[in-house]
Amino acid sequence: MNTLRYLWLAGSLLPLFAWAAGSGSSGGYVHIPAGTLVSALKFEDVNGAVRIDAFQMMRRPVTNAEFAAFVGTRPAWQRGHVKPVFAGPDYLGHWATPTQVGTAVQGAQPVTRVSWFAATAYCEAQGGRLPLWLEWEYVAASDRLRRDARDDPAWRERILAWYAQPSSKVLPPAGSGEANRYGLRDLHGLVWEWTEDYSALLVTADNRNQGDAETNRFCGAGALSINDRDNYAVLMRVAMLSSLEGSNTTMNLGFRCVKGAR
Amino acid sequence: MQRLLPSMLLGTLLVVAGCDRTNPTATATVAPAKVTAAATGGSKAGDLGPPQGEPIKAVLTSPPFVPPPTNRTAPAKVIVELEVIEKEMPISEGVSYTFWTFGGTVPGSFIRIRQGDTVEFHLKNAPDSKMPHNIDLHGVTGPGGGAASSFTAPGHASQFTFKALNAGLYVYHCATAPVGMHIANGMYGLILVEPPQGLAKVDREYYVMQGDFYTTGKYREKGLQPFNMEKAIDERPTYVLFNGSEGALTGDKALTAKTGESVRLYVGNGGPNLVSSFHVIGEIFDKVWYEGGTHFQENVQTTLIPAGGAAMMEFNLEVPGSYVIVDHSIFRAFNKGALAILKADGPENKAIYSGKEVDETYLGDRAAPNLASVAAAAKSAKAGALTVDEQIKAGRDLFAGTCSVCHQATGLGLPGVFPPLAKSDYFAKDPLRMVDAVLRGISGPVTVNGQAFNSVMPPMSQLTDDETANISTYVLNSWGNPGGRVTKEQVAKRRAQAPGPVVAQH
Amino acid sequence: MKLLLMFLMVLATHATSAGAAPDAPLPGNSVYQSPARLMDSKSRQFAWATKRGQVQIVSMFYTSCKFVCPMLIEGGKVIDQQLTAEERAHLGVTLISLDPKRDTPAALARTARERNVDSPRWTLARPEPQDVRSIAGLLGVRYRALADGEFNHTTVLVLLDPEGRIVARTESIGGVPDALFLAAVKRTLANAARADAKPRSG
Repeated sequence: MNTLRYLWLAGSLLPLFAWAAGSGSSGGYVHIPAGTLVSALKFEDVNGAVRIDAFQMMRRPVTNAEFAAFVGTRPAWQRGHVKPVFAGPDYLGHWATPTQVGTAVQGAQPVTRVSWFAATAYCEAQGGRLPLWLEWEYVAASDRLRRDARDDPAWRERILAWYAQPSSKVLPPAGSGEANRYGLRDLHGLVWEWTEDYSALLVTADNRNQGDAETNRFCGAGALSINDRDNYAVLMRVAMLSSLEGSNTTMNLGFRCVKGAR
Repeated sequence: MQRLLPSMLLGTLLVVAGCDRTNPTATATVAPAKVTAAATGGSKAGDLGPPQGEPIKAVLTSPPFVPPPTNRTAPAKVIVELEVIEKEMPISEGVSYTFWTFGGTVPGSFIRIRQGDTVEFHLKNAPDSKMPHNIDLHGVTGPGGGAASSFTAPGHASQFTFKALNAGLYVYHCATAPVGMHIANGMYGLILVEPPQGLAKVDREYYVMQGDFYTTGKYREKGLQPFNMEKAIDERPTYVLFNGSEGALTGDKALTAKTGESVRLYVGNGGPNLVSSFHVIGEIFDKVWYEGGTHFQENVQTTLIPAGGAAMMEFNLEVPGSYVIVDHSIFRAFNKGALAILKADGPENKAIYSGKEVDETYLGDRAAPNLASVAAAAKSAKAGALTVDEQIKAGRDLFAGTCSVCHQATGLGLPGVFPPLAKSDYFAKDPLRMVDAVLRGISGPVTVNGQAFNSVMPPMSQLTDDETANISTYVLNSWGNPGGRVTKEQVAKRRAQAPGPVVAQH
Repeated sequence: MKLLLMFLMVLATHATSAGAAPDAPLPGNSVYQSPARLMDSKSRQFAWATKRGQVQIVSMFYTSCKFVCPMLIEGGKVIDQQLTAEERAHLGVTLISLDPKRDTPAALARTARERNVDSPRWTLARPEPQDVRSIAGLLGVRYRALADGEFNHTTVLVLLDPEGRIVARTESIGGVPDALFLAAVKRTLANAARADAKPRSG
């Protein structure tokens, strides 16, 4: 009789445990419902809103500890082993050894100095992929209460403040930021994040040539221009991603994975 | 007739403009602007041929210093290496800001080359930078001024090559989106492309660059201040500064020179928004190469430097002192920090500037408040019934504000400076000596009541006869003086006597 | 077994134009580190890495591209024309599709015929859809799929040495060949020919 009671108790508390495990700073994926997005970027081929299919996204960026576990099982992605064509010379340079994070760096911090190829391999090992730019933009428009906070100057100001701070500050643990409406943390204010289609952000190297589509350079419709000039946060993210090659790493660039429709 | 009028008007206009097509030899009624020198031919004539000799590594300097003249006579290949560093630095006392810099300073390093040089430009972006950066040099002929070819991710470097076809003083700045923010964070500097013949030698060369800054906090609000985009778009700066911080060029960081020296300033305006009304208080620019171009204007007090522009000016220092450099949109200088100092040391030159010579009281137009007594006395005098009492009252009111300033309301004067009027032995025997003093003043040594004085009393030539009489009567009847009266007739008579300064004697 | 077959295949393709010895390790900065598999206009499947051993000019395109892709192909042909017959014989051109869904082998074949590049030295190939982005990443090509099936993409010719290392790239394509790129092509071909002429070690 008692056993049943205990089982019943445990069972009723199970959702609580699941919630505790999935929320806060721990990992796991969150379901993102389908919706529409008016991108800050002006795409020549789409007018107005873009449809975003439902998908699942990691609650927070991948951490040093998680990535260390990954490279532990995949020697090809270890520092020193990885081919230069897939990751630059500074790849995981902040770790003590090719497989161990060490003590100078925290396991809970978001992993940085990872290339697009490495991030892609990690996500594929999870059965997932890197998010598309539009998927990222869709969820990143949200703040704690609103699905789309982009028109709020205060929101933009807060995001911009991160760019104003120098890199010398110690990175806080991944997932320590405030959750947005979807339950995602640290889309802003922690590290830049790779997207699957980082190389789809076709902007001219001289970003002032808005309207000069350089059709010869970019075939078809030409270079992207910015719809929402006041949204500096997006502008800067686009500028950053468009400056990178797949094998590049920087100390401010990490990633998170998604699963599902694309 | 109707057709004639407009064509007459047109004809007149053409003649006035000096381009009468109907009669090419007709003289214009308005003389065309005099051209001071022939045009240099611009970029078309700017290519002086291929680089010669070994490649030279450019010497870059941090502000406010300028690299030495190139002293080259032939085009060279010049290698420029510039690193972008994002760093937190003070912007004002107790206030810091995350600047994005070329070469670690705001403004960025000064680059000096010669027209016709081929520049191999290496742009490096420090690994801990958060942002990609590039560079647009206004002296470059080519897409984006180099920006298209220098887009650099953090931890990378890029390279492009250009030939400097035009001489001049040019701004360079980052052109990565959002461009305004990159510039507002301090990403600008100057590149000097010397004309082929070089610039005349001067004793001092300095590098100054103005910029406007936008922070969320108010002016001088303490702490690390973030960039404020709203203020930048609205063009409402928090700080307007020379060389990136308040005090960058003041105190012991002031620019220095000596009297007798010639000074050349290379001045840029990075903006991002404001135009500068550049002025050095106490100096006139003997020459201004306005907008950093080839020709100069002379004898300029204040010169306009556009955002994204530059100017060069020369002047000589004749007189020592602190010359304050300002943006003459003056609230920027005193309320936003657009202030720098050039300190000139050396011997005084009183012939050029004497310093303060006289500091005397200026009472305006008889500032004394109570003239009722004066009016009463005047009325009585007119009626021929002026009493001593009325004279004393009027004299007292006139004394206050005129004589009391030096001799004090107590008549005691200032020991060693202004003689006393109280119980004075100066006029005890002859009150008319007082009248002379008022009319003509006193200078030189004088002894009163046993004390020596050697000062200057200016003539009170603004006082009329009856005013003088009234004042004198008041003095005679105050502070233990013997009493009596002085009439206006006596004053008039005294005034008419031979003029000439009364040299005090005793 | 598959591994042995692959190894033999690799050896076979190296028979005519060997650079380094085929069992020398592939350099870390070679694009042939990619495991991507391609299919050519004759529906033959092969590993991209099997192109190792020959100097290659590589680019990415798609057959329904009206604007720049024809220029890209012409650009490759113009380079070809500037070479001697001997040089030409040792140069391969590989054009990899950005649009594997619509660029079937038949479409590739049609384009090759239309643009007159139907020679054994020219390979028009399609990758697996999931490999397009990473191949582009290795070559430094940037592209975006548009809603109507068109693509925005950078147009670049990439020169690979026999080991698959990127030696040069040019974005100026058209009637007049990029002089620096052409010089790099000739130089790389000359180096490869010299290496060929050397007796194989061991």
